[in-house]
Amino acid sequence: MKIHRWKQGALSVFVATALIAGCSLQPTNQAGNDTSAKGNTLVIASLTDPDSLDMHKTSWLSMENSLIYEPLLTRDASGKLHPRLAEKYEISQDGKVWTFILRKDVRYHSGDPMTAASVKDSFDRLLAISPVKGLAGPIEKVEATDEHTLKVHFSQPFAPFVNVIVGGLVSPLDAKKAKELGDGFADNPSATGPIIFDKRERGASLTYKKNPDYNWGPEYAANKGPLQFDSMMFRFMKDDDTRLMEFKKGTVHVLYDAPPNSVAELETLPGVKIEKAMDVGNKYIAFNNKHPLFSDVRLRKAVALSVDRDPLVQVALNGFGKPVYGPLAPTIYGYSEAIESKAKQLYTRDLGKAKQLLAEAGWTDSNGDGIVDKDGKPLSVEMLVSQEPAFQRAVQILQSQLKEAGIDMKISVQEMTTIKERISKKSYDMALMYYGWFDADILYLIFEKSNSTSRTHYNNPELDVLLNKGRLEMNEQARLKIYEDAQEILVNDMPWVPLWVSETVIATRGVKGFTVNPYTQGITLHDVTLEK
Amino acid sequence: MRRYVIKRLLSLVGTLLGVSVLIFLMVHLIPGDPATQILGQFATPEAISQMRAKLGLDQPLWQQYMRFVGNLFAGDLGTSLFTGEKVWDQIMNRFPITMQLAILSVIIAAIFGILLGTIAAVKQNTIIDRLVVLTSLLGISAPGFWIALFLIWIFAYKLALFPISGYEGIHSLLLPAITLGMAEAGMIARMTRSSMLEVIKQDYMRTAEAKGAALFRIILSHGLPNAIIPVVTMLGLQFGALMAGAVVVETVFSLQGIGSLAIEAISKRDMPTIQGMVFFMALIFALTNLIVDLIYSRIDPRIHFD
Repeated sequence: MKIHRWKQGALSVFVATALIAGCSLQPTNQAGNDTSAKGNTLVIASLTDPDSLDMHKTSWLSMENSLIYEPLLTRDASGKLHPRLAEKYEISQDGKVWTFILRKDVRYHSGDPMTAASVKDSFDRLLAISPVKGLAGPIEKVEATDEHTLKVHFSQPFAPFVNVIVGGLVSPLDAKKAKELGDGFADNPSATGPIIFDKRERGASLTYKKNPDYNWGPEYAANKGPLQFDSMMFRFMKDDDTRLMEFKKGTVHVLYDAPPNSVAELETLPGVKIEKAMDVGNKYIAFNNKHPLFSDVRLRKAVALSVDRDPLVQVALNGFGKPVYGPLAPTIYGYSEAIESKAKQLYTRDLGKAKQLLAEAGWTDSNGDGIVDKDGKPLSVEMLVSQEPAFQRAVQILQSQLKEAGIDMKISVQEMTTIKERISKKSYDMALMYYGWFDADILYLIFEKSNSTSRTHYNNPELDVLLNKGRLEMNEQARLKIYEDAQEILVNDMPWVPLWVSETVIATRGVKGFTVNPYTQGITLHDVTLEK
Repeated sequence: MRRYVIKRLLSLVGTLLGVSVLIFLMVHLIPGDPATQILGQFATPEAISQMRAKLGLDQPLWQQYMRFVGNLFAGDLGTSLFTGEKVWDQIMNRFPITMQLAILSVIIAAIFGILLGTIAAVKQNTIIDRLVVLTSLLGISAPGFWIALFLIWIFAYKLALFPISGYEGIHSLLLPAITLGMAEAGMIARMTRSSMLEVIKQDYMRTAEAKGAALFRIILSHGLPNAIIPVVTMLGLQFGALMAGAVVVETVFSLQGIGSLAIEAISKRDMPTIQGMVFFMALIFALTNLIVDLIYSRIDPRIHFD
């Protein structure tokens, strides 16, 4: 009898608990979690759920949260500038007023027409609340002078603005809807893109549906009307093995950011295509230029000369990347082939030259242990690196390469957040870092006197003059020349060591026409079709 | 009993206050600045200062703590710095998955663990005993992600009985629950075995045997109820830990539970979310312990609380 009561009691505890769980469970929409790649839905396996779908509130624009927005101007896959939501634009003689003539046929997802007044409201909202509004430049005011003419007034000329536009930072959103919804806009965004927000399950998936009224596709797209599939879904998975199995199973069409070491296997599967898209930024070694050691340009150059970039790309990235020697990646406006060639000539690995520079600075291997020393102290430096797998592999290669030049590099694995804090406090020797931006103005953001405290702590008045001029110069040829001169200073002084540009690997199956534009880092959805 | 429960709940308040101090200090001692994280790669020092002021991070720690506790008493766990969502809403979005996973795992662990442990004890020093001990050791030792991928490969990829990843109702939680349950079952089995071995040696067991009771009845009616106390303790601890999230398994199966929310919040230094979540986990853990204590008195009437 006692036993019977015990069993009944235990069972009731479990049942009650299960019921509580059942009651608190939010209703799950099974359709939203349909993981079979069917029903004309494009399914993409992605790594990261965006923090917000409200473009003015997020600090990181990515494919997942930016596809519903469209810029005023854009670039095609070869980097050529094209009109987009603006038919044309012009810049005043003094460079302070940019005038955009908007297309007349564009509508927001709410059905409202895109007018100059609505775009002005969008700009005003951006300037009021965006955490990264400073990147848009010194905008004084925005006005709509008629129904389709927008004027952006700057307090001083801001030449990079065209690439700020291309990058999507100031793309129009439906400001009227945003005002109505307030904070809720992030859960129901409205803009002009070919897809409309449908639903979201945080951490799991994000679904968009086709915009049936869309008819303003870009010049370079064959299809300018509505998309050729009904909806698209991003599924967020962090584990590489899980993502690979989902892709192999056929539950997803696109494996975005596939692990490079899986490509050989993926290529053996029937129907699989491998695409790659170059990043808009470098990976590089950041020196603490205020450091007793690295304030000496000879030591910086010695490190640069010790590095062999090809094994970094082949081993750490499985070949999916490109060695770089100059400051900018090929995808960044302002990149110079001449500078890249010169930098490559100067800094191709040369251990003899590296050791010579170290010797000139007083560092020689006086005790024969393979490490150079000075006044009895060995040259020992610490490299901060994040847990990211490619960085982990790269840093071990760097360690052995520097050792061959007599430099003892110790690896310190930290979270990226901690690394950034230590950099800003000058509490580091070297760090393996990255940047991404669409314009050579990135050099201003990294090296200009008022900004370099958060990156390399490098100070060069001559460079400052050039970088400030680069923001003001509106003549394109003159501007490119300015950046060439600035890059030459950087190559000669080597306040950092550019290493490689990564390529994002994308595996697709059952899809045609899926490409990523490296100049905008976005998918061109218009010509994508699903195979039956 | 009612008085005991009330007393425990009141002392829970003290415990949670202590927890809130620890949480607050811990969160603020982590290096890394939420303001720089929010503002992205190219923030200017001025923008960072403004953001820190806006977030209240420029105030003295004690003022920040008082605001934190004040909000707690108002039932407000704060708002995420990144998503703009209420921390409570974020937790409630994710908690049901974690809850179901924890319950399923504990059920699986209890069934297999107790069964195997009991068999091993009754068959002590036989081949069966050694197999059970070995199997439980394997369950404890094998890393969770390895078991997870193994199960996925066979049952989700090859046999297609379950989804590879994601949440699609309780059906899709079976593989993750088995993954977690296997490791726990190993612990439970060993605990049950050693506890049962103690019980088997007792006089009342010999008395029952002398009275001619069937072996099954001896074990189930006389042995197991007495052996189960430490097992319930273990299950309670495991359940509490699971309710705090099983990060590795959540990652492999792409389940959006509480554990993965915690990891994301920590990597971004989303202080309100971290504080709110750890507080919530502490609360769950404490309540689980209380429930375990109450279960004791139902299992063994000699244990009572006044």
